[in-house]
Amino acid sequence: MKQYQAKKEERRAYLFLVLPAVLLYFAVMAFPMVFSIWMSVSDYSGGQIFGGSTPINFIGFNNYARMWKDQYFWISLKNNLYIVLISVFGQIPLGFVLAYALHRNQVRNKGFFQTVIYLPCVISSVIVGILWQTIFSPYGPFTELMRHFKPGWENSLLSNPRTAIIPVLLVMLWYYTGTYFIIFLANLQKINPEVIEAAKIDGASEWQSLRYVILPALSGVIVTSSILAISGSLKSFGLIFAMTGGNPARRTSVLALYMYDTAFRGAPNYPMANAVSTFMVVFSFLLIIITKLAEKRFGGREE
Amino acid sequence: MKMIPQTITNPEKKSQPKTNLMKNETSLFSRLFFGIILSLFTVLSILPLIWLALSSFKTTQEFQFNRLGLPINWFFKNYSLAWKIAGMGKLIFNSVFYTSISTIAVVFLSLAAAFAFAKIKSKATPFLYGSFVIGILLTIQSIMVPLFLMANTLNLLDTRLGVLIPYVGFGLPIGVYLCTEYVKSIHDSIVESARIDGAGYFKIFGAIIIPMAKPVVSTLAILNVLAVWNEFMLINILVSTDEMKSLPVGIMKFSSALSSDYGKQFAALVIGLLPLLSFYLVFRNKITEGVSAGAIKG
Repeated sequence: MKQYQAKKEERRAYLFLVLPAVLLYFAVMAFPMVFSIWMSVSDYSGGQIFGGSTPINFIGFNNYARMWKDQYFWISLKNNLYIVLISVFGQIPLGFVLAYALHRNQVRNKGFFQTVIYLPCVISSVIVGILWQTIFSPYGPFTELMRHFKPGWENSLLSNPRTAIIPVLLVMLWYYTGTYFIIFLANLQKINPEVIEAAKIDGASEWQSLRYVILPALSGVIVTSSILAISGSLKSFGLIFAMTGGNPARRTSVLALYMYDTAFRGAPNYPMANAVSTFMVVFSFLLIIITKLAEKRFGGREE
Repeated sequence: MKMIPQTITNPEKKSQPKTNLMKNETSLFSRLFFGIILSLFTVLSILPLIWLALSSFKTTQEFQFNRLGLPINWFFKNYSLAWKIAGMGKLIFNSVFYTSISTIAVVFLSLAAAFAFAKIKSKATPFLYGSFVIGILLTIQSIMVPLFLMANTLNLLDTRLGVLIPYVGFGLPIGVYLCTEYVKSIHDSIVESARIDGAGYFKIFGAIIIPMAKPVVSTLAILNVLAVWNEFMLINILVSTDEMKSLPVGIMKFSSALSSDYGKQFAALVIGLLPLLSFYLVFRNKITEGVSAGAIKG
């Protein structure tokens, strides 16, 4: 009897502790996710969902097909891939080099460098976007700076559809490198310094100890950083929204912005916007799985 | 990896003087090389912000011909004008409100669920905990349209509650994950002996788990503050009246309305980044610790 009572109390406590979080999570995340997938294969066009005057029909993959044929979808996807590339081959290596430099170099004021390099990351993306838009604009300081080297230089960086994505990518390098720098720094400090010293005593050069001791020890962190970069790239919205608004001629759009434009600008097309967001979820899962597989295939030097 | 046992068996090899000698010998060139990279990027990180701060003290007319130099006449009025036109007081209040309430709720709800997941046996745990962990991978945009339509149906657009509910929901997956992993590391015997002494689960939660969870609470709180304070995409569609706007939304509106009035715009940007910048400078060590811990585990 007593045991039964205890079991009952245990169950009640479990319910009370878990329920608020579970309810909120299912209402705000799980249900909308299912709702979104459902909407992406329907022709819902606003208005009441249940008992509305116009019935909602299941139209299969029509919305996906429309998205697939839209050139702006491909422009956005391409820009997202550029962002993944600048993260994986720009931010992550640069973040690592900076962390390694700070870790190996016995500079004074380590804390100062650390604080300043991470500082851009805590600024709101909207502020970063507006700031850099001004810097790169024809009336901004960048033009003035360039004219010191090349008198009469005309700044069309942000207005030329071919080049407008370049300043955006440069800003991303400036904005996000600090995150990877901090991650690498924390993990470099976890490597036992004796291992590196031992390698040096055995005659390993700086480069060799980096190649054979430090990088293998960090392979897991590199994979995690790449996953972070992939999902982070699909998240990018605020910076581009504030810096270019996706323009000129929607050439700097990304998937998140393309989805936003489909849903909230001009005539709203909610089903197609949900097709875009569902595609984004599937796409990021795929990229993450590929990254994981690549780690298994080429990495595997973790301790 | 054959070097490892050597160090363990020959501990005298890592004696202090020798270590320093080795470092100085090998790294004279690399020291210079790394030093230059480090300084260069540090300067690049801060320079645009210094430029912004200086420019915010110029009048728009002065900015037209003096874009790079120090202000000739320090024009402080940009700040009071920007503050008044953008309604900065209200915006900052709203941002503080959304951030603090959602952070408190996320921490408390996550820790409660984590305690149950980690210390009370139940058949429901694998499914429930698993769904939270999957939720870490979901991004705001993947459910933004449904959330907008739901808020619209429930008349929650343009209300504080309509902003807070999704913000708390979004914080939960990483929160439940970090807290559960942490509470698991607390020894079962601590909870069991308290049970034998007759303490109920809520008492244990309040008197043992919460005090012991301080490290994970600070990590989670920091991650949530940074995420909510800077969130723009969702609140931008959930809120349209100035009364409810957060700082990023208000600044975006201000800047698109006054795009060529540089002086005020720069002042508004500086006001906009100061609150979180001060938060960062005060808690910088905690923040960098929290960010790297959260990133790796998440």
